[in-house]
Amino acid sequence: MRLSPRRLAVYCVAFLFAILVNFAVPRLMPGSPVDSMIAQLGPRATPAAIEAIRARFGAIEKPALEQFVDYVVGLAHFDLGVSVKYYPQTVTEVLGRALGWTAFLVVTAIVFSLCIGVSLGAIAAWRRGGRFDTIITPFSVVMIAVPPVIIALATLFFFGVTLRLLPVGYAYDPNLDPGLNFTFFGSVFLHAVMPVLTLSPYLIGEFQTTMRSSMISVLGEDYVTMGRAKGLTETAVMFSYAARNAMLPVMTNLALMLGAVFGGSIVTEIVFNYPGLGLTLYTASVARDYPVIQGQLLLMTLATLGANLLVDIIYGIVDPRVRESAA
Amino acid sequence: MSSSFALFWRQKKALAGLVIILSLCLMALFAPLIAPGDPSARVGRSHQAPTVEHYFGTTKMGRDVYSQFVWGARPSLAVGFATGLAITALGTVVGLVAGYFGGRTDATLDLLTNAVLVIPNIPLLILLASFAGTVGPWAIMAIIALTSWPWGARMTRSQTLALRNREFIVAARMVGEPGWRIIFVEILPNLAPLIGINIVGSIIYAIVAQTTLEYLGFGDPLSVTWGTMLYNAQNSSAIILRAWWDIGAPAAGIALTGLGLALINFTFDEIANPQLRSGPALSRWLRLNRLRRRELGAAR
Repeated sequence: MRLSPRRLAVYCVAFLFAILVNFAVPRLMPGSPVDSMIAQLGPRATPAAIEAIRARFGAIEKPALEQFVDYVVGLAHFDLGVSVKYYPQTVTEVLGRALGWTAFLVVTAIVFSLCIGVSLGAIAAWRRGGRFDTIITPFSVVMIAVPPVIIALATLFFFGVTLRLLPVGYAYDPNLDPGLNFTFFGSVFLHAVMPVLTLSPYLIGEFQTTMRSSMISVLGEDYVTMGRAKGLTETAVMFSYAARNAMLPVMTNLALMLGAVFGGSIVTEIVFNYPGLGLTLYTASVARDYPVIQGQLLLMTLATLGANLLVDIIYGIVDPRVRESAA
Repeated sequence: MSSSFALFWRQKKALAGLVIILSLCLMALFAPLIAPGDPSARVGRSHQAPTVEHYFGTTKMGRDVYSQFVWGARPSLAVGFATGLAITALGTVVGLVAGYFGGRTDATLDLLTNAVLVIPNIPLLILLASFAGTVGPWAIMAIIALTSWPWGARMTRSQTLALRNREFIVAARMVGEPGWRIIFVEILPNLAPLIGINIVGSIIYAIVAQTTLEYLGFGDPLSVTWGTMLYNAQNSSAIILRAWWDIGAPAAGIALTGLGLALINFTFDEIANPQLRSGPALSRWLRLNRLRRRELGAAR
């Protein structure tokens, strides 16, 4: 399996763009962020820390190009700078702590929604124009249009505050010690229910509509007719013949949606006080902890690019047509 | 085209969507008549439940939620609609230019489009907004528009590619029409349904993004918009205090706007892509196809 150079160029440009934004924005904005950061460090502002911040945000006498090279070399060594809020912790440490929780949340929500959305889309396409289709499909379209903030607040209000069914904050019961035991996992599961339910409607809506339209075009293909002609059962034709192929555009869409999913997870984590990347980004933006905000953008860009790359590779494996044309 | 409009009007979903959006717009337009007085004035005690006096209750600061809801519709809808139009304009121009001129122009623009497409938007927005400090509604608009045009650009580009070698375009080129004229006079009108989808979809996206940014506290705290209402409600722990009206009013406004736009877009989608139709429109389409086939058979 080899990737087309065009795709690789896209990924390189996207990553370079993110780096460039990180490098340029603090240098172009009116009013230096450096002073506010140093002021915030207060008594912790050792000469070394001040020097590091100055170098990072361009408040030093050096040509811009040289600064940029220094910046990129630093990134290559996983040097994302020092957090202002959590000084002397580095950005890498702060983000590393939160990364796992967000990955857990996002992956769970995607898997959950993929199962539901794809099945709903397949059934809606199979019985196109039926009662199921006419109710579910517009509903999915509406779900895509409702901001995650609204869904998060509604979920929190109904399940967390009014019904008191589920815990309203953090990733696990703070009285528990994290460990490999059943109580801890149970607590993690219960705390993840509301955030996952919040992230899901948008994803289910997207998956349902994509699956439905791709399934409709697949159902017109000759091999589906042949499957029916062979006398296969409805379910066999639907799942083994049609749905398998109709899944491909859903995969493409999934990779492109990841950015939006991160956006949703930011809001969700804030509403439910979930200790992931989103909450870290929020506290960082409130505290004007610029190095953490920048690291976050790079990390999320990297994650989206990684997911796209993965989808490109999977696509090549599962779809022989793509393999053929690449060879 | 006229049959498309007929289809649009006959669709109950689209009509419902249009009614929702129009009534919200009218409410915003006539805010001074519907809710006279300053929406930021203290008029009651803290967190009063809805009464005849305050239809939607009051906020923690004792402000009237109803009047904030009505006045907040103005900037929320205006920024949402303007941003949606800006996103569409950018995306359409980039897509048209890339698709029509092809070659190196296309390669460069396509690369740029795909690159901006994979960069996660909301984190980028937050980065830009937090360096800029609090940003007013129009700065929010600029930031959103600059980061979210690629979806439309991609769709427009592939449609333009399909059109550029059709006879009427080739003919226009041979007559010697300049490139910009071919793009805007010959190609653009053919993309009308696509642009419609793009506009409504972009407005939806812009409203989601605007709400997110304002909810996170990047909006101008003194302005009254649905997003800043959510932010203020969140900060005064309205949910924990069970002041549901404080959160519910702006949330309902945003959700209703989303609902109305989604219903409109659903119908646009079906017009542009008859394959996707369901319900009455689908059966009409199938009947039409049957008729056409019969006519073809008879002609033969």
